[in-house]
Amino acid sequence: MEEENQKISLLVEDISLLQNYIEDLFNFLPIPICFISPRKVILEANLAFKEISGYTTEEIIGKSIEEIFKKEEIESLLKEASEKELVKEKETVFITKEGKEIPVSLSIKLRKSPEGEILGYFLGFFDLGQIKIVETQLKEKIKEFEKLREKELVLRIREIAKSKDIERKVEELEKTRKALMNILEDVEEERKKAEEEKSKTLAIIQNFTDGLLVFDKEGKVSLINPQAENFFKVKGKEVIGKSILELSQFPDFKLMVEAVGKELKGIFRKEVPIREDLILEVTTVPTMREEEKIGTLMILHDVTREKAIERMKTEFVSISAHQLRTPLSAIKWTLKMFLDGDLGELTKEQREFLEKTYQSNERMINLINDLLNVARIEEGRYLYRPVLADIVPICQSVIDSYKEEIEKKNLKFEFKRPKELPKVRVDIEKISLAIQNLLENAILYNLPGGKIEISLKLKENKIEFSIKDTGIGIPKDQQRRVFTKFFRAPNAMRMETEGSGLGLFITKNIIEAHGGRIWFESEEGKGTTFYFTLPVAQKT
Amino acid sequence: MDQKLTKELAKKLMEFKGEIRGIDIISDGDFVLRNHGEEALKKVEEKLKEVGFPIEYKKLKPMGFYPGGLKVLSLLAIKEALGYSDEKIEEIGMAAPRFSLIIKLFVKYFFSLKKFFFDFSPKIWREYWTTGEFVPMELNEEKQFATARYQNFDLHPIYCLYLKGYFTTLTKLITGAKKVECKEIKCTFRGDKFHEYFLKWE
Repeated sequence: MEEENQKISLLVEDISLLQNYIEDLFNFLPIPICFISPRKVILEANLAFKEISGYTTEEIIGKSIEEIFKKEEIESLLKEASEKELVKEKETVFITKEGKEIPVSLSIKLRKSPEGEILGYFLGFFDLGQIKIVETQLKEKIKEFEKLREKELVLRIREIAKSKDIERKVEELEKTRKALMNILEDVEEERKKAEEEKSKTLAIIQNFTDGLLVFDKEGKVSLINPQAENFFKVKGKEVIGKSILELSQFPDFKLMVEAVGKELKGIFRKEVPIREDLILEVTTVPTMREEEKIGTLMILHDVTREKAIERMKTEFVSISAHQLRTPLSAIKWTLKMFLDGDLGELTKEQREFLEKTYQSNERMINLINDLLNVARIEEGRYLYRPVLADIVPICQSVIDSYKEEIEKKNLKFEFKRPKELPKVRVDIEKISLAIQNLLENAILYNLPGGKIEISLKLKENKIEFSIKDTGIGIPKDQQRRVFTKFFRAPNAMRMETEGSGLGLFITKNIIEAHGGRIWFESEEGKGTTFYFTLPVAQKT
Repeated sequence: MDQKLTKELAKKLMEFKGEIRGIDIISDGDFVLRNHGEEALKKVEEKLKEVGFPIEYKKLKPMGFYPGGLKVLSLLAIKEALGYSDEKIEEIGMAAPRFSLIIKLFVKYFFSLKKFFFDFSPKIWREYWTTGEFVPMELNEEKQFATARYQNFDLHPIYCLYLKGYFTTLTKLITGAKKVECKEIKCTFRGDKFHEYFLKWE
């Protein structure tokens, strides 16, 4: 019995030592380990397990494993462990007492009795928290590194691009520099050319036979050439910078300024007698740059000699005409006496010859009259005696005097006028001559059986006279010369050999002397319409 | 329960016939150590020395058998030395199964509540005590309650408190229930013929 007790005592001691050994081993293991019952109750947990969970032994023992792992996950893993007996390194989440979730790598070993009954499970896990942190940190570091690399790469690329960009820009700048140099060369060349041109222009201006005055934008003299200095007997420096109004303080400028006006406006041309020995044809032309007026050019053409010649010519014509008219009048009256039978009966043949001679003489007289009128006009001696008159009877009188010719040529004639027209202040004789000239042309250059229509209208304080024919018309290329002296259109000359070419010149001068305006519309082969206006007389 | 631990009482308790595994006494010391430290444990040991039964918890052998009265002496010494209430004594009982090697050895029987309750729980009693009997009375798994009794065992009322705590935890470990209620419905110290506990879990 004693021996038995000793054996039992030894066994008990061995068991105690074994328990200590197991506990020491169990607690020494740095891996959290626990043992759970088949009902998932924690029955044993080592020190590492308690440390990581934050629970004390009293708290952890008896706790359901589902409270410290995610329920679904642990259930699934335990089921797997029941089937396979061993589940290794499955990632799941461990929940501490503080509620902190720690990622762990969990292994489960099924514990069975020799009879195959499930006794429970051993659970052990690695804390992946740190690994995860390290992994996350590593990932972050990798990301950061990649970002840095990317940044660096971008910077590098930018640097390369920049250097390439710089190279490209340098190239561009070089090109630009070359282009600029070329431009500069061109500019220099152009400047030289411009200088040359300027010199040339200045030379031309200086040596120009006409006087030139250049006014700037503000209307002040910016340039005067020597010829103009001579005309006005001034020195350039005296007039440069002066306005046209200021120029009038120089005696020789006075008349010119009066003629031109105080302001320089548009195109202007006028003959201005500056002195007794100087007549200038003054022309002003605005100088434009695109649509902007940058100044005015005044061209002073000396027409003194031309005017003198013209005057002499006119005087010659006048004297000649006067001298011719006296014998022609004598011839006229002599021929008239013959034709009237004052000097005895004439045979038919004699009469025919004398009639032709009479008509030729008449034409000669008309021509002389025209020449005298032109001479008077040019000499400024064509005197007007305006009176207040009704234009209708004046027209009618002229028409009546041409009735015979109209009928002879079988022309249809119409005179349209309103019932009442205001009076005009006219020289009846001169206006009659003007209307006569126009009517004569309409008859002469009309075709037999044609039509003439005279109209009178009141238009804006003006009486408009028009005479429309269906004659040969005036060729387009000749139209601008219609009112010049001695002009006769070729088709007119072919049709009617007689005619001085002075009628319309005289007519124009008469109308303009009355403050009116004359113009025409014509189409060759279709006819012509002449118009003139006369201002309505102002009531006094 | 306010019975003062005296030498007389100690002597009387030590006369109790029957032995207990060292582990069950060691777990008391461990509880004090875990919760109050070395000094507290020394105080308890001093108390035991005072009443004439000096023991050093750390030197006890877990699987060794010691006089059954020593268990009650241990509890009474702790209660007196540390001013423990009845509830705290229950707590010592509640902590014990969590550290018990014997319970760990019986884990293999936890797979079936019925089998454990009826077949193995009396064995566990015997693993601890050389005297008395544990009798499983009723188990209703559906309604989650059980009644059990131990008999022929009249040690001291403080041990009834200790066992109340012990059964509570053991029921938790076996059933996995979060909440367990344990009541001693019959007690020899209240005139009953045996001790009967009613266990209810959720």
